[in-house]
Amino acid sequence: MKTRGAFALSRHAVLTCWTLVTLFPIYWMLMTSFKHSGEWVTWPPRWLPHAPTLENYRAVLAPGTSTFELGRQTLKVLKPLWDSLLVAGVSSLVAVALGSALAYSWARFGTGGPRYPYNLLTIRMVPPIVIAVPFVVYYVTLRLLDTYAGLILVYVATSLPYVIWMMLAFIDDVPIELERAARVMGASRFRVVGTIVLPLVASGLVVTFLFVFILNWSELLLAMTLTNTEVSTIPITLNKFQSANEGRAYGPQAAIGTIATLPVVVLGFAIQKHLVRGFSFGLLRK
Amino acid sequence: MRAGDPPAPDRRAVRRGVLGRLERERVFKWIPFVPVQTLFVALLLPNFLLLVYLSLLSWRITRGAWWNAPFTGLDAFMVAIGDERFLWALARTFLFAAAAVPLELGLGFGLALLCRSPFRGRRVYSTILLLPMMIVPAVVGYDLSMLLIDQGPFNQILSVLAGRAITVRWLSDYTAAPLAVIGADVWQWTSLTFLIFLSGFAGLPQDPIRAARVMGATRWQVFRYVELPLLKPVIAIAVVLRSMEALKIFDYPMLLTQGGPGNATETVAVYLWRVGWEFARVSHAAAMSLILLVAVAVYVFIAIRVLRRERRRLAAEGIA
Repeated sequence: MKTRGAFALSRHAVLTCWTLVTLFPIYWMLMTSFKHSGEWVTWPPRWLPHAPTLENYRAVLAPGTSTFELGRQTLKVLKPLWDSLLVAGVSSLVAVALGSALAYSWARFGTGGPRYPYNLLTIRMVPPIVIAVPFVVYYVTLRLLDTYAGLILVYVATSLPYVIWMMLAFIDDVPIELERAARVMGASRFRVVGTIVLPLVASGLVVTFLFVFILNWSELLLAMTLTNTEVSTIPITLNKFQSANEGRAYGPQAAIGTIATLPVVVLGFAIQKHLVRGFSFGLLRK
Repeated sequence: MRAGDPPAPDRRAVRRGVLGRLERERVFKWIPFVPVQTLFVALLLPNFLLLVYLSLLSWRITRGAWWNAPFTGLDAFMVAIGDERFLWALARTFLFAAAAVPLELGLGFGLALLCRSPFRGRRVYSTILLLPMMIVPAVVGYDLSMLLIDQGPFNQILSVLAGRAITVRWLSDYTAAPLAVIGADVWQWTSLTFLIFLSGFAGLPQDPIRAARVMGATRWQVFRYVELPLLKPVIAIAVVLRSMEALKIFDYPMLLTQGGPGNATETVAVYLWRVGWEFARVSHAAAMSLILLVAVAVYVFIAIRVLRRERRRLAAEGIA
């Protein structure tokens, strides 16, 4: 009994430690986003804003002033938010639709051969910088550079391997007997997918969508390479802020960071219960 | 594990029209395959050929169109191999991955182990511990650059803990800056390994564990001889996923230190980015990309073999 109490106590101690490590940067960004410019950098650092303000959010979000003076360049903030949402949303939807269909097809019929999911994973392992250089030349030729369609196509391709691997786990959980029974009773293949498989893997689809949405929402390197002025995403905007060395705008940057984080975290909270199921990638014995 | 067709003939076996045609197994199974494969071939094949071709030229963006660039054979590769900064960036990338990935795996596994069984506060802990993976890496990079300034809160905490004034120059010191980049990676991606292992623990089959318990195995024995072997494939995929992402590391050095001080945090992705876009030496970047591809390919080959073996073993002993 005594050892058990000691174990519970040390468990709480360890978990609390890591919780603090996890929360510290998030807390600091949140607080900075509410600070006046005089409090961004002080010694000793201020852990609570003296007089909380929404000035940073206003500077970043207000329609008329959604451009931000920074050295010599002017940055738009509202448009990248919208662009990110559009590009990440559409590409993740398409990837989840295509990828889960493919995962089903592979699990049931072995489409593409036994190595197919591994081949796709190989593609994911290639560092994106490798294809960045020729990609620009290729996209210029196709007139896809700096367009939504161009970026979306790339993101669909890069997130497909993850979709397939995650969905395999969920499809493995669908009892084949059920599908067979429905087939015997005369249901078409499409009907089997629609009425039996789809409801059973619904939570899997949501989890997978969230995960690839996070990846696409935050991708920096390819976005920087394949866009210029027409399309711009949130990570690019942050990077531009950061590389403009003169006059760091900590407050507005913290506001952008908070805004960029919020939708994903809210989504994550909403599906947390399902999150734990999706990440063993079908690699456990039933 | 394939469903195939049921032996009994389908009542409405003969369907007509487009839908009927799509129904046949040999057509049905290719429906998702065709668009996916088309996308990959259309995006990757021309790019790969272009990459190889560009690496054989001597082209800079600033000097006219690429099809007019002189053909110089393997010159770009000679430059790449002779480029010390490139070789260092390559080595540094593997070094960063070698430092960050084991830490992430160890921490993630340990934390998941502590959180696997229900206790009071478990939900709160796991909710918070999952947060970092939901934050944009660029935001993490920016956020840490704010924490780690010389007179920032991180140094303040260190000073309080140590009881004397400590000022580590995290972003401009040759030893500290790489640690900051590795730390950023560990901070963010421990949450993913934690999730993967938590998912693994939650999905463990209960029968063999109970059987071992009944036969009088101690807690440690159950963990070591029953659970750990069952978890092996999950551990394998965690290693593969994390190491392949760690080799791409780009956002943190870019946002935290811009590769500096000097080149102390310049990973291969950052350096190739510079060669290609800042220095506009496209052909050199292409040659270096191909070398990087070969370096990664060796690793990928091993990783895929391990994964295939694990999944095949599962199919052989578990489901069959």
